[in-house]
Amino acid sequence: MSQYETLKTLEGVLESFLDRIVMLKQDRIDVLEGINNLDDIAQSSSDGFEVADRIGEWFAGHNRWLSKNILKTSDIEGISHLLSNIQTRLDITEESSPAEKKILSEIERWNRSKKTSQTVHTPAREQSHKIVLKRKAEQPPEKQEKSIALFDKTLRRCLSMLGRSSINKKHLLSALDDSLRTASIQKNKDALLLSAFTIYYLKQNGYKVEPYVKRLKETERLLKGDKPNA
Amino acid sequence: MLNPSEKAYCLALLALKHKDYRIASDHFNKAASGFKADKEFNLYRKTTQLLLAVKQEIAVLEMKKEDKLEIEEILPNG
Repeated sequence: MSQYETLKTLEGVLESFLDRIVMLKQDRIDVLEGINNLDDIAQSSSDGFEVADRIGEWFAGHNRWLSKNILKTSDIEGISHLLSNIQTRLDITEESSPAEKKILSEIERWNRSKKTSQTVHTPAREQSHKIVLKRKAEQPPEKQEKSIALFDKTLRRCLSMLGRSSINKKHLLSALDDSLRTASIQKNKDALLLSAFTIYYLKQNGYKVEPYVKRLKETERLLKGDKPNA
Repeated sequence: MLNPSEKAYCLALLALKHKDYRIASDHFNKAASGFKADKEFNLYRKTTQLLLAVKQEIAVLEMKKEDKLEIEEILPNG
C-alpha cells in the first residue's frame, strides 16, 4: 500500500470515528447547542438589547425538552440560571403585550420544573400545564418609529457581535469569516446580517468579495431551511 | 452564563457535526484550558488534530502528483 493510500485509509478511519462520536452524542449536542443559544440571548440581554422575540423563538424551539426526559439536572439548573438573568432584564408590566407576558410565564414554568427535578425525578412533569407559544400575528407597521427602533436595536446587536468576533483579528476579512461561521453553525440571523453589511462595505472599498457572497447565500439558504448546494 | 471554555467546547462539537474540522480544532484549542483533565475532551481534540494533519499530508501528496502530471504533459511536446 502506498503512503498516499495509507493516509487516505487513516483519514477515513478518523472521520468515521468522529462521525460516530457525533451520532452517539447527537442528543447531547442538541442540548448544548440550545443552551449555547440561550446563553447568547442572555448575553445580549445583559448588554441591554431587546430579546423578547429571540427568547420567544427559543421557547418555541425547545419546549419539548420539558416533556421529554432529555435534560440532566445540571442542564435544567443552567437553563434556569440563564432564564433568571434574562427575567431580571425583561421589563414586563401590566401594559406589556400578551407575548411578553407569556414569556414570563414560560420562565416561571422552567423554574417550577427545576424545583420538581430536585425533589421528584420523574420524566412526566408538568403534563397538565401545557402552554403553546406562538408568535404574535404579523401586523402592518403602525408606526414608522417602531421599525426604525427595531433596526436600530439590530444594528447595535450586530455592532456588539462585531466587537466580540474581531477580538485578536488583524483584518476585517477575518472578522467576516468568523461572523459567517457563527451564522452558519448557530443559525444566527444577526450574524448573517452583520456578514452582509461587512461584505457590502468591503465591496465598496474595492475588495473581491465573491467567495464571501457565495458563503453568505449558502448560509441564507441554511437559515431558511433549504438544502445547501452540493 | 457559560464560561468561554464551555462555550468553545460546545462550538467545537457543533463544528464536528458539520464536518468542519479546522473550526472544530480552533474551538477545541480555545476550550483546552477548562478541560485539561477531561479524557473524553482530549481524545476528541487530539483525534481532530490528527485528522487535520493527515489531510494536510494528503494535500501535499496530491499537489506533488499534479506537478508530476504537468511535467509528463509538457515533455512530449517540448
